[in-house]
Amino acid sequence: MSSIEFQNVSKTFARRKAVDSVTFKIESGEIFGLVGPNGAGKTTTMRMLVTLLQPDQGEIFVGGHSVIKTPHEVRRLIGFMPDSFGVYDDMTVNEYLEFFAACYRIPKPQRAGLIKDLLELVDLSHRHNDMVDTLSTGLKQRLGLARVLIHDPSILILDEPASGLDPRARVEIRELLLEVARLGKTILFSSHILADVAELCTRVGIMENGKLATVGSLSQLSQKLIPHRQIKVAILDKAEEAQAFLSMQQNVAAVRLQTGNNSSRIHFELDFNGEDNDLHELLNRLLENKFSVVHFSEETQKLEEVFMRTTKGIIS
Amino acid sequence: MEPQPIIVQPPKRKFNFNFERILDNPVIAKELRGRMRDRRTFILLTFYLSLIAAFVCMIYLFLGESTSGLAFDPDYRQTLGKSIFGTVVLIELLLISFIGPGLTSGALTSEREHRTLDLLKTTLLTPGELVFGKLSSAVIYLFLLIFTVLPIQSLAFILGGVGLAEVVISSLLLVVTSIFFATLGIFFSSFLKRTLAATVSSYGSILLSVFAIIFFVFSMSFITTVMFSNNPNISKLNQDVFTIIMWLVVSTNPILAPIFTEVILIEDQSIFISNTTSLFGTSGMYLLSPWIIYIFTYTVLSLIMLLASIWFVKRPER
Repeated sequence: MSSIEFQNVSKTFARRKAVDSVTFKIESGEIFGLVGPNGAGKTTTMRMLVTLLQPDQGEIFVGGHSVIKTPHEVRRLIGFMPDSFGVYDDMTVNEYLEFFAACYRIPKPQRAGLIKDLLELVDLSHRHNDMVDTLSTGLKQRLGLARVLIHDPSILILDEPASGLDPRARVEIRELLLEVARLGKTILFSSHILADVAELCTRVGIMENGKLATVGSLSQLSQKLIPHRQIKVAILDKAEEAQAFLSMQQNVAAVRLQTGNNSSRIHFELDFNGEDNDLHELLNRLLENKFSVVHFSEETQKLEEVFMRTTKGIIS
Repeated sequence: MEPQPIIVQPPKRKFNFNFERILDNPVIAKELRGRMRDRRTFILLTFYLSLIAAFVCMIYLFLGESTSGLAFDPDYRQTLGKSIFGTVVLIELLLISFIGPGLTSGALTSEREHRTLDLLKTTLLTPGELVFGKLSSAVIYLFLLIFTVLPIQSLAFILGGVGLAEVVISSLLLVVTSIFFATLGIFFSSFLKRTLAATVSSYGSILLSVFAIIFFVFSMSFITTVMFSNNPNISKLNQDVFTIIMWLVVSTNPILAPIFTEVILIEDQSIFISNTTSLFGTSGMYLLSPWIIYIFTYTVLSLIMLLASIWFVKRPER
């Protein structure tokens, strides 16, 4: 059974269609990334999913429960982290989690142990008696993640979990999300940081102008949108000779000499049509012909390229 | 064959009233903890008690000065006791009318402004629990204000002149007023987006209901006294309608209702019913004492506003 299912969902604000006929499914255990430019409709989509907004048209199901008809059941299944961290200035970290545990009706005797475990998971045990407003943005985001997990939801919905974080905090949140995913949770998250999405997600949905432009795994999207495999080759000398040699090879559709590189290496980018065996053959032939190959790799996880090819920069 | 016993199914309960859940409301604990950590809470309490104590001292000194030599006269002591009691209750009513909405007008708007309302709305907390929790914590604080005045008020009990009826009625008026004005703040907070707008709206409606009505009553009283004395041909029906309208207006004002109740208690020695002859100069009528109308009206209005607030919080954004 799908964890999340959108069926032809639309939402209009003052004659502006924020979400337009969106249909997609997320299976249990998936990490699904929702990407798109500002104003694409990602946050509206998420707010409808977490019962904060009502769709004008269509239906959304979470774990088989309708978001419109049984919102209370949906809230049991989901943990929602909005794009801005909700701060209660006058609470300690412990009190903050205790409060939300009570809001989720977790019996009093269980709360202390649960909070202790969660603080350990997000590595905040040493700050449990500190006031929430003394935490850095990265630590607040970790606390937010602990809050989301307090009632052990099967689905996490995270709106821009890494926004505003420094690179280190970003990596830490990414690691945390992977750890949470290993617990078997389904995760839907939106992000502007494509590298995070590429690294974390099993599938990606790209939204633009309220519409879901495309959905699939990164390799599926790459295959669909980028017709050739991209191969990077670097050699030490004989640039012209190497370019001519590569151009004559089978399965090589195009060879581009990469300029503007300060290193002593000569870089080529190839559009390649063959399979892995053909790629292996190509490398062998380069070495047999005494080209001093120092780098040979395939460009993968080209989410940026997929994103640019999918979106047109239209804001709804 | 033996007749089958008829099993009567108990009717399904429409409302599942869970008292334990009400006591375990996390919003009450959170709000009270936050309030008690805030320095302003104690500053407000100190200011409130100092103001009431100052007024009591002024009355004590003023009456003591003007009636020196009567210190042991029981009538004098009773007058002094009644004056202190009445003043304390009136100041309490006035202050609670102003503090109540101040405590609650930002209750839900500040959650919106801090973006925490979304978090709460996606938990299993019901809108009723959220609104009730916010209201209860404010009302508990207002009750604290009322109870802390008791030592000052007890000066009146030492001097005498204050009956049980006055104590019970004044306590009821204070409790209902606290709940009403706290609910008023919650009501505006539930549908307005900004705390400033909710606060201005709350105080605007208080100014209208408390002071504008006092002005209206005195103006109408003056005009009609002149009118009725100059024109004896005004029908009894017209006079009765006027009396009822004025009575309702007086009975729903937080300052006039206790004053008129006290006047009735002293002049008619009646707790529940009053003859209005002496009050507006119109033909006499027997009507319910203002405190009964006040408590009924403000309880109903509080309930309506509470339900409306829950509805505003419950409805998903559109």
